[in-house]
Amino acid sequence: MASKHGLYVHLPFCETKCGYCDFYSVPLMDRPTSDLVSAAIVELKSRLNKGGSIRTVFVGGGTPTVLPIEDFRRFFKALGEGLQGHCLEEFTVEANPATVDAEKMGFMVDSGTDRVSMGAQSWHAGELATLERLHTAADIEPGVSIARAAGIRRINLDLIFGIPGQTEASWGESLRQTIDLGVDHISCYGLTYEPGTRMTAAKNAGRLMSCDEDFELGLYRQAIATLAEHGYEQYEISNFARKGQQSQHNLIYWRQEPYIGVGPSAAGYVEGLRYKNVADIGTYVRWMGERGEAMLDGERVTGADRAGEFLLMGLRLVEGVDLDRVSRSCGLDVLGVLAERIDRMADLGFVRLEGSNLSVTAAGREVADGVISELYSALDGRCEQTVSLPVLQVPRSGD
Amino acid sequence: MFNRQHIRNFGIVAHIDHGKSTLADRLLEHSGAISKRDMREQFLDDMELEREMGITIKANRATIRHTYKGEEHMLNLLDTPGHVDFHYEVSRALAACDGVLLLVDATQGVQAQTVANAYIAVEANAEIILVINKIDLPSAHPEEVALEVEQVLGLSADEAIFTSAKTGEGLDELLAAICERIPAPEGNPDAPLRALVYDAKHDPHRGVVSHIRIVDGVVKKGDKIRMMAAQTDHLVTEVGKFTPKMTAVANMAAGEVGYLFAGIKTLVDVNIGDTITLASNPATDALPGYQAPNQMVFCDFYPGPGTETAALREAMEQLWINDCSFTYEPVTSDALGIGFRCGFLGLLHMKIIQERLERESDVNVVQTAPTVTYQILLNDDTVEQIQSPSEMPDLSKIVEIREPFCRANIIIPAEFIGVVLQMSLERRGEHVKTEYLSTTRVMITFNFPLGEIIYDFYDRLKSFTKGYGTVDYEVTGFSGGDLVKLDVLVNNVLVDALSVIVHRDKAQFRGRRLVSRLRKEINRHMFEIPIQAAIGAKIIARETIKAFRKNVTAKCYGGDITRKRKLLEKQKAGKRRMKNIGNVEIPQEAFMSILDPGD
Repeated sequence: MASKHGLYVHLPFCETKCGYCDFYSVPLMDRPTSDLVSAAIVELKSRLNKGGSIRTVFVGGGTPTVLPIEDFRRFFKALGEGLQGHCLEEFTVEANPATVDAEKMGFMVDSGTDRVSMGAQSWHAGELATLERLHTAADIEPGVSIARAAGIRRINLDLIFGIPGQTEASWGESLRQTIDLGVDHISCYGLTYEPGTRMTAAKNAGRLMSCDEDFELGLYRQAIATLAEHGYEQYEISNFARKGQQSQHNLIYWRQEPYIGVGPSAAGYVEGLRYKNVADIGTYVRWMGERGEAMLDGERVTGADRAGEFLLMGLRLVEGVDLDRVSRSCGLDVLGVLAERIDRMADLGFVRLEGSNLSVTAAGREVADGVISELYSALDGRCEQTVSLPVLQVPRSGD
Repeated sequence: MFNRQHIRNFGIVAHIDHGKSTLADRLLEHSGAISKRDMREQFLDDMELEREMGITIKANRATIRHTYKGEEHMLNLLDTPGHVDFHYEVSRALAACDGVLLLVDATQGVQAQTVANAYIAVEANAEIILVINKIDLPSAHPEEVALEVEQVLGLSADEAIFTSAKTGEGLDELLAAICERIPAPEGNPDAPLRALVYDAKHDPHRGVVSHIRIVDGVVKKGDKIRMMAAQTDHLVTEVGKFTPKMTAVANMAAGEVGYLFAGIKTLVDVNIGDTITLASNPATDALPGYQAPNQMVFCDFYPGPGTETAALREAMEQLWINDCSFTYEPVTSDALGIGFRCGFLGLLHMKIIQERLERESDVNVVQTAPTVTYQILLNDDTVEQIQSPSEMPDLSKIVEIREPFCRANIIIPAEFIGVVLQMSLERRGEHVKTEYLSTTRVMITFNFPLGEIIYDFYDRLKSFTKGYGTVDYEVTGFSGGDLVKLDVLVNNVLVDALSVIVHRDKAQFRGRRLVSRLRKEINRHMFEIPIQAAIGAKIIARETIKAFRKNVTAKCYGGDITRKRKLLEKQKAGKRRMKNIGNVEIPQEAFMSILDPGD
């Protein structure tokens, strides 16, 4: 492991599950968390021991801050120790405005945390209720203050637009309040109805009216304009940052750089191998105990598939993708293969090709899935395909 | 040589499902031609598809020895196809018969094909024995049905024979009637050979086997024969009878029915209806009634998902060796690539060929809307035949477009007269007459443009009449009409495979329905897509598919990459199944959407 890696740790506990969330997480209730924390520490140590250096860390979930204090302390202590000697550029922890407190924030900072990402989502009580969020608008400012008091300088707040019932005015208010807090990074996500979530079920049953497409587009444009006005530059489809404050960890994903994943359902990309851990706490704990790893499946992505990944992640970034780099990495003349489609979409005003750098325009970002799909489908089986590794049997969940 | 006086050549004709194959089975079984143990249900329907669809596609046959009044009789049974599309084949098979069993279901009564088949039998000058079958069923009313037949066809109800092919009831009586009433074949064994080819099949090991009826003369192994229409000579390698297995015999003489091998490799070299004579002593006149196969319905087959053009071509060749009743030739569509323009005898024939192609060769076929042959009178007084709207000459050169017409007999319960009349008039039908078969059932005769009824007329009739309506048609000729070519433009690009020829009065309606249907079939794109219907340069209908306004995944991080890539793979596979025309991805279903006459 010669190159520098990102490290992602997934702690899959939440106070309650939000209605729109499709990440792997389980409500905490009175569930014991210590086995999971112990297993995650084992995996963390094992992966860090393989050598190489870590340059960014992101602890997410779930809501890491809901862990009971003892497990929380133990986990961050182990994480801090494990990262000793690594030259970190960024160390982010996800937090919920309602569950952060000064004590936990202290453990985080002790371990090296220098950035906090909080799910504010909205400043409107009705919208937060629709999202089934546990916190209230009144929790957001104190949450930020706690982090700042503990010495955290870099803070991201997540916002959601396209919530049923949302208006231009309420969205403008959420943006303004967030900007007023002076955070350096804001993510604005269009509400997505993921299959299997409660909100999707409610929508399908007609209990919830999703936002009109044009209206949602208006909210997106409103966010881009408002944030630009206040010095937040869009650098990815949903992400805005003050100068120099982009999330270095997330850039690793979008730029196809390597990262280690630790914890149930975490994904990693190490030395050309994409792997994913089993998404079940009980199985994860057992596998870590029995085999010392929890990988469920993995694949080596090569050739056209690899090129496709560069496009699907990289074109989300305003900076775009250097197709020469993609070609070298995949052994495929990507520019040659895509030339005709790029021309066509440049004519439509959706992409821009400067030298070998392909980027999506502001208009293209609004329909980026279509743009990416169009390019992706031109990458044909002109070279060797991805090799799937043998998939392990998924045992039935015990918990 | 068998005593000609004791030979009976006969066929069975019936409407679909009236029990023809079962009756043939029972006759064979009853006469001991095959043992019960060997008896496979419907022995004569030997193609898998025929058995599955419950219809007989190709005429089959058997020779039965039956002793009647102490004399051994040779009963040659010709099992004939029963569907409208095989009109000509039926007529040739019946031309080889001296008698016909007209089989009618005692629960259903006269149906359209009962009438059609009876007419063919009359034309063939065959003695008709009316058989009312399925008398074992509780809902049977054989006497009434016999009266119905008498009313429509003038066959005496008193002479009808009531049978149940299922229980065997009435079979002895039927065999007696065959021996009594069907005349022995005429013909002169000493005259120059004349044999009617009434069917032909392909045997993968031995080439073509011709099914023949000897009218005059004698044929034996070693004879050099001549096909009178095709003007080709062949050496006979075997003659024989169907018992029902093929069994070689020394010779066959006037009046007999059997088969003949003559080293012929492909079916295209044998024309049904042709006359075989001896090259050394040819007859002067061929037997009457030969027609070259006449394909009336055309559509294009293109390779579907996962099928290469080469594989489709090979499949077509293979099938054609077995059944040359359809035609095919390569065709190139801007929209669908390289495929084959195929000609069929009718719609059922088209469906059978498509299914056999897919079943026997494991290819996937995309089929365009069926169309009929049009005759175009040009301003230089020449007439051009076109089989696809895309072949339509430049409008400035056209004096007249002529379309094929047919005469259709529709038999329905009287309560449905109104709805059927309306449906027929909407399809530009011209009412000829309405006849009451009984107090409750009528036969309506219409002249239709063939193009108006080839696609779904039968299905519609069935659904409008709760399944009771039946129709049979016969093509009568070509006649001029106010026809126009309706084009479709997707994103301002003309899509050749979507053009149709329609009557001017219906163009507006069809055009509007076409574009609205296409709007539903084509997914939204990143740009707005106009869909237009046009006659020449004139746009007569338009719809617009709005562009995607917002189409972007909000959140995409490390764990989503594989999932997202698999989704894109799926989209890629989906795009591959579509045709890209004018930068618009058109799903294959859209090409069939022009078939839907809608409501």
